[in-house]
Amino acid sequence: MGATVLVCGAGAVGARTARHLIADESIEAVFVADVNRKRRTAVVAALGPRAVPVDEPDPTSADLVVIATPAGRQVDLARQAVAAGRHVVSVADSVHTVQRLVDLDAEARERDVVVAVGAGFSPGLSCLLARHAAADLDTIDEIHVSKHGTGGPACARQHHAALRGTGLDWRDHAWRRRSPGSGRELSFFPDPIGGADCYRASLADGLLLVPAFPGVERVTARLAATRRDRFTASLPMLRRPHAEGRIGGLRVEVRGRRGRAQDTIVLGAVDRPAVAAGTVAGQTARWIVGGQIAFRGAGGLAALVEPLPFLRDLSRSGVRAAVFEGT
Amino acid sequence: MALLRRALAAVGIATVVAAVLRLRGTGGTPPQAGGWRELSGPDLR
Repeated sequence: MGATVLVCGAGAVGARTARHLIADESIEAVFVADVNRKRRTAVVAALGPRAVPVDEPDPTSADLVVIATPAGRQVDLARQAVAAGRHVVSVADSVHTVQRLVDLDAEARERDVVVAVGAGFSPGLSCLLARHAAADLDTIDEIHVSKHGTGGPACARQHHAALRGTGLDWRDHAWRRRSPGSGRELSFFPDPIGGADCYRASLADGLLLVPAFPGVERVTARLAATRRDRFTASLPMLRRPHAEGRIGGLRVEVRGRRGRAQDTIVLGAVDRPAVAAGTVAGQTARWIVGGQIAFRGAGGLAALVEPLPFLRDLSRSGVRAAVFEGT
Repeated sequence: MALLRRALAAVGIATVVAAVLRLRGTGGTPPQAGGWRELSGPDLR
């Protein structure tokens, strides 16, 4: 008998996660819950007979719970799942939610379960790229993440909110609060995105990277934003968010030492953020139920998975990383 | 009064200059050489 997975949220990311899981024959059933019944029904119908609609998400009904809901419901669902001894994969990207999910670490260890926090595009793929880049260095001094683009409507709202939230930089072994929109940096993403100005914002990547890289001196995260984004960041969203964002990108720069020499490794990725996030979340879920993750507790992908085989599997699913070679 | 007007004018000009620099400037220089290469095959072994 195969494993069962409950996917909470059938939006842009949740639907992709469910699709990724249903493609794995070893998954016996994927239960799909969403407050929007019409959307849930459409997603289940597209997935086939092993997808089962559920009205209320019950974490005890499955071996693993994927939480792809907007930030507000994530922590309660994760708490219920951990209390019931179920593994959790969350695609949370807000600082507040990620911090509260990481706080479940002690209980998750006690119950011998995994809480994969921020298993999406950024955080998620960003943490994985940082871990992969770090494997080529002897010591890690700095990690700098830049993100471009948004996934579904919830992600677009989070992007808007992040631009007015306080940024968190890890510097000299302490968190420093930074003004939103400060620290402009021209970041070059893989083609076709190219260069984009990125700014400090309320981003959760650092919260997951710092514990995964003990001793790291600097960790920063920046968000690409247009002039209109920055002008309107303090206002409510002027337009309804799009159903699906355009192509997005990631750039992860890791600085450290190889032997006695200083070295910098830059990795990146381009994809539609919701597609990449759904694939990363789905694959994380498959690895957990398949017993490929020995880690117990709550943490980001940089602490959870072996990066090389994970990136190889992601590449087979169409999510490909790139390396910058040049100066 | 004149001093106050001058101070306000100075603050106003500084604000405009800061706003222009903040909105129109860029935060770095482009890469001088090289480019992105997709990780595949041997990179992922």
